[in-house]
Amino acid sequence: MSELQGLGAELSKAEQAGVEIIAVSPDPNEQSQKLAQGLRLGYRFVADRDLAVTRRYGLVHAHGGADGQDVPRPATVVLDRDGLVRWFSVSRNFQVRPDARDVRRAVRAL
Amino acid sequence: MISSTRLAGLSVVVAIGALAAYVLLLRVAVVRNHPEGYVVAFAVATGLAVLAVVRARARRWPAWLALGLSTLLLAAGAWFNFVVARVPDASTALRVGERPPDFTLPDATGRPVSLGDYRGKKPVVLVFYRGYW
Repeated sequence: MSELQGLGAELSKAEQAGVEIIAVSPDPNEQSQKLAQGLRLGYRFVADRDLAVTRRYGLVHAHGGADGQDVPRPATVVLDRDGLVRWFSVSRNFQVRPDARDVRRAVRAL
Repeated sequence: MISSTRLAGLSVVVAIGALAAYVLLLRVAVVRNHPEGYVVAFAVATGLAVLAVVRARARRWPAWLALGLSTLLLAAGAWFNFVVARVPDASTALRVGERPPDFTLPDATGRPVSLGDYRGKKPVVLVFYRGYW
């Protein structure tokens, strides 16, 4: 969640209103959605239970989970109004997230 | 000259302090995005503990205790940061200027969300993450 909070803090209310933030994880996400609402972050959490979508994006870290299961490679993608990729970042270390300022710059450049 | 016991104490403070600071400040981007910082701090703590052991004359146990603790944290921290947390580099299906694969996935209430629905309407930031943690 920490990266999501960082992103929410960096984007102003207007920017958050002008852009849809969709958070994709294999979790069912009820907890995340509650937490985000509590923090008044306008995210939509979607569940990719079997990582099918994550796999199509080439963002699966095979056997990267604590129990050897497949997990997503943490990544952030900025799409413009036409649905084209404008900027993206894939983490090489799962502790590290893209700097929210970089994301904001990409969003503002749209 | 700083006494061995003081060096040992300093080593423990640096090691535990680095661990506590990293955990407490995880939400601060600059801390979170530089996990090698705690590895460096554990290395410094280990260095101080080695110095404490070298200088120990009468009371040796604080120095050895500090060395044991800092070495353990250094090994565990380095292993976690450089081995466990490493995500292999591989090509993605993402290309700047191209349209990524469309998808429809259920949101937290079970309602379907389609990426295509936003096309022509709103820019989208997609965040792929590992889960609730």
